Amino acid sequence: MPTTIAALAPLLIGGVLLWSGSLKLFGRHAAAEARRTALAGLVGEARVVPAYRILGGLELLIAVALIAPPPLWIDLAAGAALSAGFIAYLGYAALAAPASSCGCMGSRPSRISWRAFARAGTMLLASAAALLWAPSIAWYTELSGEPVLFTAVLAAEALLVAGLSPEFDHRWLLPLRRLHNRLTHPLSGGGFEIPLDSTVTQLIRSGVYRHTAAALRSDVTEHWDEGEWRFLVYSARYENRPATAVYAVPRLRYAPDDVRVAMVDEEEGTTLLTMDTPPPEDSRPEWVLTNPLPEHVRTA
Amino acid sequence: MDRRKLLTSAVLGGAAGLVGATALGSLSPEDVFAAEGANAKINPGDPDPNFVEGRITGITDTVLFVTSSDGSLHSIRVTNGTSIWKLNPTTFDEVKVGDGLYARGLRLADGTLAADSLWVNIVNLNAHVDSIGRGSLNLDHHGQRVVAHVENGRSAAVYNNTPAVSDMSMLEAGKHVKVIGAWHPDTNEITISTVYAAV
Repeated sequence: MPTTIAALAPLLIGGVLLWSGSLKLFGRHAAAEARRTALAGLVGEARVVPAYRILGGLELLIAVALIAPPPLWIDLAAGAALSAGFIAYLGYAALAAPASSCGCMGSRPSRISWRAFARAGTMLLASAAALLWAPSIAWYTELSGEPVLFTAVLAAEALLVAGLSPEFDHRWLLPLRRLHNRLTHPLSGGGFEIPLDSTVTQLIRSGVYRHTAAALRSDVTEHWDEGEWRFLVYSARYENRPATAVYAVPRLRYAPDDVRVAMVDEEEGTTLLTMDTPPPEDSRPEWVLTNPLPEHVRTA
Repeated sequence: MDRRKLLTSAVLGGAAGLVGATALGSLSPEDVFAAEGANAKINPGDPDPNFVEGRITGITDTVLFVTSSDGSLHSIRVTNGTSIWKLNPTTFDEVKVGDGLYARGLRLADGTLAADSLWVNIVNLNAHVDSIGRGSLNLDHHGQRVVAHVENGRSAAVYNNTPAVSDMSMLEAGKHVKVIGAWHPDTNEITISTVYAAV
């Protein structure tokens, strides 16, 4: 049994290296991904893309050597060295550039986390086990010897590696989380209150607000509900003196045309203005009203 | 409350009657800006003198001392007419040292900003929902983890640009959201004011 597990290590490591190496070498976004990794700090900005590609080529070479016969201990040693080197690189990146992408499996950016270390550690352990217990046993002879056990163990190991890869999260973790949320409803219980934001949106869409907004000086200072109305209070300036603008907005229905406003001088306790329908609008275009041609242009 | 009674009767009483547009006089933006005189003249590239952002380093009576992110120091006077937002419209005693703020107002001759509006700890994040927990969202904000708490009765959701509702249950893991919220100073946590999502 331990021999079986050890003997399939070349297949597992070879498979993972084949995948990550080909993404580094042939991936469409490989150049962009290279620049996001912490490699730039090690080899310099200008050499990061070639270095990334050379690393990919090296991974492919070792992958082919591991999978193809004959089984050699030197292949396993190379795989172990690559894994150990990768752990060292991750450690460097986590310290020097924690915001960078780990650049592990290419296809999509993923931040360096404990999972990246765990995956690289699994690779290192697998190659060390193979070196110790089965340095010269070929995986294909084991496969023909114990096909069921071999396939089951390989599948389990492949699942472990995939589970430790953030690159696959959208395939299994995200659907799982969505299913969990659908079953448990973690955000239910919001109630049926009408949020203030909803009332403000209705206010802003009203004609009365459009005709008085230029007088407002502040955001909402105060609000309260009374019957079917919600009152929103703003600070304003009206006729060159400070005033309080109070809007009454329908609370439980959407009816921007029913919005009313009053401008109040609170010191004197007098109402300066009330409006419950917007004044009729001029049908001429706005630029005619606000931007008459200067005198000298008109007479010229 | 007397004041609320006065304001309610002013807006619903209808005693003053309908006032036409002419009575509003100069409400056009050009006239309003012209009335503010020198303050309206800002050279391109210059900072807006009537706006301040930063962290509160001290509070004396109704004056806030603020250090901006560029290192400049400001004092901000808060008046009765100042609107204060901290998750929702609130009062001056809710403002604490260490809070971040955006302030808009009018710069006085002594350099103090007389604030019209304060937005305390307000943040605007474009993020991905990583996962949803009980009463909170875990957001991925450009690789940074942000915990966004839902406060029942306060937090609102806007789905597909329709008016806001309290029901947050249509948010989904893995989707993009825009969140307006109140930051908890010196943490990676916020409380949601409004979350915008497509469903």
